[in-house]
Order: sequence, then C-alpha cells, then structure tokens
Amino acid sequence: MRAALHAEWTKLRTVAAPRWLLLGAIAATAALGAGAAWAAASVDGGATTVPSLIGVRLGQAPVAVLGVLVIGGEYGTGMIRATLAATPRRTAVLAAKAVVLTGAVAPAGAVAVLGSAAAERLILPAADGPTPRAIGGSVLYLVLIALLGLGVAAIVRDAASGAGAVLALLYLLPVLTRAIGGPRWLQRIGPAGPDGPWTGLGVTAGWAAAALLVGGLLLHVRDA
Amino acid sequence: MSPTGIVVAGLRKRYGAAPALDGMSFSVRPGVVTGFVGPNGAGKSTTMRVILGLDAVEAGAALVDGRPYRSLRRPLNRVGSLLDAAAPHPGRSGRDHLLWLAHAQGLASRRVDQVIEQVGLAPAARRRGGAYSLGMRQRLGIAAALLGDPPILMLDEPFNGMDPDGIIWMRAFLRSLAAQGRAVLVSSHLMSEVQDVADHLVVAGRGRALADAAVDDLVAAVSEGRVTLRTTAAPHATAVLVRAGASVVAGGRDTVTVSGLPADRIAALLGAGAVPFSEVSAHRATLEDVYLELTREAVEYRAATSTEVRR
Amino acid sequence: MTRDRYGFLLLLHAEWTKFRTVRGWVTGTVAAALLVVLFAVLAGIGGGDGGPDVPVGPDGGPVTDSFYLVHRPLTGDGSVTAAVSAPRSSLPRGLADLRPGRVPWSKAGLIIKAGTRQGSPYAAIMLTGGHGVRMQDGYTRDTAGPAGAAPRWLRLDRSGEEVTGLASADGTHWTRVGTVRVRGLGTTVLGGPFVASPPAVRGMGTSGSVSTAVFEDLHAEGGWADGKWKGEQVGPRSPTFSGYPRNVAGSVAEEGGRLTVTGAGDIAPAVRASLPTGGTLGEILTGAFAALVAVVVIGTQFITSEYRGSLIHLTLAAAPRRGRVLAAKAIVLWTVTFAAGLVGAAVAVPVGGRLARASGVYVFPVAFATELRVVAGIAALLATASVLALAVGAVLRHGAGAVSAVVVGIVLPYVLVAIPFMPAGVSNWAARVTPAAAFAVQQTLVPYDQVASVYTPYEGYYPLPPWAGLGVLAGYAAAALAVAAVLLHRRDA
Repeated sequence: MRAALHAEWTKLRTVAAPRWLLLGAIAATAALGAGAAWAAASVDGGATTVPSLIGVRLGQAPVAVLGVLVIGGEYGTGMIRATLAATPRRTAVLAAKAVVLTGAVAPAGAVAVLGSAAAERLILPAADGPTPRAIGGSVLYLVLIALLGLGVAAIVRDAASGAGAVLALLYLLPVLTRAIGGPRWLQRIGPAGPDGPWTGLGVTAGWAAAALLVGGLLLHVRDA
Repeated sequence: MSPTGIVVAGLRKRYGAAPALDGMSFSVRPGVVTGFVGPNGAGKSTTMRVILGLDAVEAGAALVDGRPYRSLRRPLNRVGSLLDAAAPHPGRSGRDHLLWLAHAQGLASRRVDQVIEQVGLAPAARRRGGAYSLGMRQRLGIAAALLGDPPILMLDEPFNGMDPDGIIWMRAFLRSLAAQGRAVLVSSHLMSEVQDVADHLVVAGRGRALADAAVDDLVAAVSEGRVTLRTTAAPHATAVLVRAGASVVAGGRDTVTVSGLPADRIAALLGAGAVPFSEVSAHRATLEDVYLELTREAVEYRAATSTEVRR
Repeated sequence: MTRDRYGFLLLLHAEWTKFRTVRGWVTGTVAAALLVVLFAVLAGIGGGDGGPDVPVGPDGGPVTDSFYLVHRPLTGDGSVTAAVSAPRSSLPRGLADLRPGRVPWSKAGLIIKAGTRQGSPYAAIMLTGGHGVRMQDGYTRDTAGPAGAAPRWLRLDRSGEEVTGLASADGTHWTRVGTVRVRGLGTTVLGGPFVASPPAVRGMGTSGSVSTAVFEDLHAEGGWADGKWKGEQVGPRSPTFSGYPRNVAGSVAEEGGRLTVTGAGDIAPAVRASLPTGGTLGEILTGAFAALVAVVVIGTQFITSEYRGSLIHLTLAAAPRRGRVLAAKAIVLWTVTFAAGLVGAAVAVPVGGRLARASGVYVFPVAFATELRVVAGIAALLATASVLALAVGAVLRHGAGAVSAVVVGIVLPYVLVAIPFMPAGVSNWAARVTPAAAFAVQQTLVPYDQVASVYTPYEGYYPLPPWAGLGVLAGYAAAALAVAAVLLHRRDA
C-alpha cells in the first residue's frame, strides 16, 4: 500500500493538470465569494445576506474534475493497464488514489475556503462571516466531492463522461428539484446538499462512499 | 523449487458470443525467447492481458512462477510487460512515467535512469510523453518492462512502429535477455519479425495454441516430404507433376515446392517429359511456411486468392 | 464553385456517418430527448396538493382579486365621487411590529365591479402610493392620470358597459383619465371605495403590507340602491392573496362623513411572486438541464475522440481544409441535437402540462405560439450548447476539460441565478452576459409595470427577450468556433 501511495503521488505531481485545477479551485472559490460579497455590499449596504462561502459552489467544479481525471485520464491513455500490472490489487490502487486525492485537495480546499472567508470579511465587515464549523465543513465537502469524482470516473471509465456525470450530480439536481412541486426527496438526497455544504455533508459523504464502493467493485470484477 | 516461467492452461473467454480464447495452453521457459505468433484476433493480446491479471477468464489459469499474477506482491520484479506500447500520459515525461512505476514497486529512482540508458531513451527522457514517436513509446515500454529486473518478460508486438535500426537492436536485445536466463515471450503477427529471434514458437489461432514447439522441430515437420524444384518452365513442370499425383505450390521466381512425390521420382518424370530443370533438392521451410501451414484453417480474415494448384 | 459545394456535401455526409455509427453518441442523443420527457413526467406527477382555485381574469390569465371593498349595488347607470387621501402604508418589521413604509402601488380609489366573484370584470380609478392617479380595468390595463399632490377628487361614471374615470384637484375642474368598455359588467354591479395594498418588494423577496386611506364627500348619483356602505374583503382565501400582517384586518370606519378604509391585497394580474405554487413551462422542461449535460458530453467527444485515436489525421487527410471539417461537424451536430431536442420538448410540454394540471398544479397559461417558441427554443439551446462544446473541445483537445468548461459555463451561472437570495442586479447581469442567458427561451411569464414584484430569472423572468438570450449563447458558440478554426489551422494536428 505504501508503494501504491508513493506511485500515485508521483503520478499526481508529475503532470500539470492537477496543479492548475487546484489553483483554479482556489481562485474560483475566492473570486465568487468576493464577488457575491461585493454584490451584497453594493446592493443594500450589506443588509442583504448572501450565503456565506458561496464560492465553494464554483470551486467544487475543478475539484470534481481533478477527482475524475485521477482515474478517468488513465482509461483515456490506456495507462490504467500499466497501473494494474504494477499493482495488481485493484482495491489498493483505488484506495491509494483516494488517499492521495484527499491529501492534495484538503490543503488546497483549506486555502480556497479560508481565502473566500477572508475576502467576505474584508468586503462585508458587518456580516457575521462563516463560522469555523462552516469553514471546516466546506473543506471536508470539497474533499468528498473529489472522491465522488474519483468513484464516478471509476464507474464510467471515461474522463469526459465522468466529468459530465459528476457535474450533473452537483449542479443539476438542485435545478431539477425546482420542477413543479419538485420531488422533495430528490432535494434531500442530492450530493450538493439542500442548504449548502455543512448541513448536507452526511449526504455528500454517502454519495462519495457509494460511488467509491461501486467503482471499486466494478474495478475489481471488470476486465481492465 | 517452484516452477519458473509462465504456464497458461486451458484459458477460455468469450466477448459476447464470440469466443476470444478457446482452450489456450502453452508454457514459457526461462533462457529462451518464445515467439507468440498468429493472425490478428487469434487471442494473443487477450492471453497476455489474462496473464497480467487484467482480464478475467471463464475457465483455465495463467500462472507466473506458479502463482496467479494478482497475488504477486511486487509484480514488476517478477514479470516485466509491454502491452500495446507504453501509454504515458501526454503531459508526463517518459522519466516521470517510469518514476511512478518504480515507486509502485518500492524501487529507487536510480533504477529509472539505468533502464533509460539501457533502452537508449536518455536524450528524450525528459520530454513530454505526448511528443513521443511510436518507436520511442516502444522503447519507453521496454524500459518499463525492465524496471524491476524481472526474470520473466512479456512483450506484445514490440516491433510495431520501430525503424530497421530499432528492429535489429530489439532482436539483439531480446536474445541477450534470454541469454541472461530470463523467460521471454514476444508476440507478433508478422513471422519475419520473430524469424531470427525465437527459439520456441507458440502459434495461436482461433483462441487456441495450434503449436507449441521448438522452432527447429516445427521447421523440420513442415519441410518433411517437400521438394524444391528450380525450373524455367514452371507451368509445364507443374502440369507433368500434378498429373502424376503431386501437389505443387508456386515458390519464388523459377521455383516451385512439390509435395507428394520423392525427389528421384520427380527428376525421372521431368526427364521423361523433357522439361528443363536446374535443381531438385529437399525443401527447407521458412517460419513463414510453418506459420501459413498451421494457420491455414485458423485465419479468419484471409484473402480469397490462392496460388495453390490442386488436382 | 459547384464542385466545391459538392465537396462540402460529401464532408457533411462523412461527418454524419461518423456520428451515427458511434452507438454511444446516438444512444446519448436519444437519452437526452428522453430525459426531457422523463423530467416533465416527474414534474407533472410530483404535483401539488390542489388547493383553492386560482382566480382567472376575463382574458384567461391568472389574477390577484383580493382587496378591501366598501360597496353598494348599482343598477343601470350612475356615478360615484369622493375626495381621497393618499394611502398611508405600513410594513411589518419583525413579528408584530408595523412601521410606516412606502408601497408605490398601494391603491385607494373608486371601483365598479361586476361582483365579488373572483376574476369578475371591473374598472377603477385610484390614487397610488407612488404613481399618481391611475385608471385600471380588466386586471392588466393601466392608464396614467394626472400626477400631483393628494388629496384628490376622483369620480367613476358608469353608462352601460362604458366606465369613465375622472380626476380633479379641487372638486370643480375635472380631467377625464379614460373611458373603458367593460365587457360582461351586467346590469347590477357593485361600486364604491376600495383600498388595496400589494406586497412590497424588500431586498430579494416581498413582504405583505397594509394601507389606509380616508374618503371624504362620498356621494353616489344614479341607480344606486339605498342603504349603508358595506365593507367586505374580496377574495380572502385566494391563493394569490398573501393575507394581512399579524394583528391587522381590513376595515371601514365612518366618522362625521369620513370613511377610513384599511385594506391589503391587490387587484391586478398575478405574477410569479403572487402565485408561487404556479407552474411554468420552464419548470416542466427542467429535464433540459440533464439533456444539456448529455449533449455537451457528446459534442465534446465528437471532436476530442478524433484526437485520442489520431483519427483526426485521417479526417484531415481526407479533407485538408480544416475549417470546413469543423463547419461540417458543427452543422451535423447542431442538426441532430436540434431534432432530438425538438422531439423531446414537443412531447414533454403537453404531457408534463397535462399531468401537472391533473395532479392539481396551476400552470401559467401560454399561447400556442409561445409554446412553440419555448419548444423550438429549448431545442435550439441544446443544439447550440452542443456546438459550443464541440468548439471548446477543438480548442482544448481534452474531453473532461471541455465538458467541465462548458457545463460550468452554462449551468453554473444558471445555478447562481437560481439562488433565491441572489441580488437581482447580479442575477440579471449573469442572465444577460453569460451563456446561461439562453435560458430566456423558457420564459412564458409576463412582467407588468403596474405590479411591483421580484422579476428575476429565479422567478422565471429573464432580462433579455428569448431570442436575444439564445443569441448570447450563439455568440459564445460562434466565437469559440472561430477560435477553434484558427487554432486548427495553426496547430499541428
């Protein structure tokens, strides 16, 4: 397992895409957070409340794509066969990918969320700002979204379809539930959670776990 | 002592309704280069993927050093493999590709530079994989296979995309690997590529091993009872010999291969018919002949032309 | 030239063959159409709990017909006159605390109405909180009268089906504000003073208000029945009426010839905020979002898969003029996706609408032409989005990257816009300049000047007209195609 981890870490750091995606996540989270705070400040002198840490809704996209690419990209090039020849225990491969992904997303997510919180405080000093609990929850949320991407890509075995599927889960369910009288259960079971990150965290974790479980199972039984 | 090399026994696998493997069995011994030949679709690549634990089978087993591949702890130290050229990430350098593989086996990065030297990839090692030619990707794949210094090597179509220099290098390289006592399995759909390399041959067709024997034995078996006739009047000679009950196959320029009649009887018949000829000798089959003979029935997508004349 | 055109037809044929022979793309396109239908069905049977009937005006549109009316019956012709003070409005702060506030469309005036039945025809002249004297009838029509300070003398004159509204600053010199023909008024009508006080827009929502006005010198001439003026809340339980703030109720009090009337509600067309349970075509077509992701994935792969398999070399060898290859791909993709979207939406709209109505949901009515526009607009939106994906795929040459860029580019602005508490300025800006502007094709609701409300994309009102919104997306697609064509020329394949 240690060797598999080392290999996955080497893979992650030797291409440019993960770096750019994580930088993109940080920039997107902070930019949207600052933009929303600025909009709120300019509209009503700060009386209107914009959901705190709203930037996470944008920052989750590059993070999800990173999760997808970690395994989906290998199917695109055929490298997955080299990976599985080198580490035949397939669950170990997926576990190593999940751990390395977590290790990469957690610090980047922390920077992103803290940056967004700092921007909000700077622009809207009057507002309460996010609680430490919300900040921690948002970082955890980003990690779970990355893992969801990994699991979904392991299921569909294609980076483009994987990205489409995950983004659909993240962005479409909330929209779809607005359908007339919307099936309310949909709203509660969407991975993006009903009222932003912290409340829906358990649900998000469930989605990530289910995707990883199914992905791992399929990885185990399918031909590579 | 545990058995060494690769043992493949009774592999069966279907893709939908079409059988991909239909009782594939053979073994690969240390110290020799085993050629794995057969037409496209004969099941060579599938067999190799099964050996590597990438594909599952419905029946049979493929063992590496007596164990299934998927139970190996540090598999690259036991088996080095090259499947459909190395597939590095287009944005990752060749060296980094080898680096993660090395890390997966707990190998030091020093080893990476060694194998890069060994396959002659040093000048391109730090370029992006996406910029590699097919020949460079093949060398990168060989380097990956050598990484763990494994006693067993398995290479799928290693000559693909190589220039003549590369092919000569590859042949010498494979022989040297076998000379070091390693078991080497090399697949190809072109007989000429393994011609001067393989000591042992597994001929695949329709998901089965049609032959699993030493090259010399195979050549002898196919050569037996055949005579090479050199004549400037091939059509005339063919007519005379066919009338006498022989099978005649056109060979090169001015030569035909005759089977079904001994050499002295052929000479007599031609003399009696006043057909000019310059040579009648025992036929020495090429691997190409062996291959054609064995796969004649097994070729699934064969062109509908034949030069063979039968009664 | 003709040979050239023939060559392009061949190219189109080649790209069409490429498209239809990849089973995943055909399946995906069909699935996109099915998703549109599936979500329409889900939305339809998701349903509501029925609830009271939505009042419908004379022209079939939903209306708000809930206000405080002080009335006497009028048979035949007659007129009513009063000096009306400007309505003073109060808004709730906190739970039970009412504070004076501004409600620009609070109304105090005189009305003649066929009856208290919800949606019955009327004509009224009124003094508003912030828009001077108005004459209104038929719920949707609004005529401005003289501006200026209150109190004002107002008069309503009925003659058959014709009602004339007059206003005066001094009770002597009268100005005619308008004469309207009120169909279906009947012989005996109700008439008298009324007060309405619609919910006021506060931040990104609305809150109920209540207004009070004083009527002096009230006198009625003509066929008015004898007796006292009777106060009554019209439409107290209508779904378009949000009720009174706590501890207040509609009332009328007489003291020395002065009537003090307090009321809430409105008499106006219903908008989304006043009928939040109502459904729109856009909601029935929510599946378009799911379909969007599918067609974006297909559009991207239509080009990126060529790079992955180096098929692009073969393609460009067969047709060395690269820009034309891209054009052929775009045309094939747009056409196929449009056809699939058209079929999906054309099935989804009637099916979803019928199911929704059957399960008791009120669906905002739309004209047939509007329905056609929404169906064709959704199909065009999907088709244009897939071409945008194709172009982005050609630029990035990376499937996952292109899919993410396009999905995030189109859907994320929409999601942000769809956050109810997003400031209207921000969401209207996003619905104007981002590719999400194209969702304006879904709009079926009509905003009214005389109804102050939250007209944001979240509520179903887009800042751009439908085809202009689609044009924004098309602009993005065209720009991306242009960049892709230039890069395809410059770059090595």
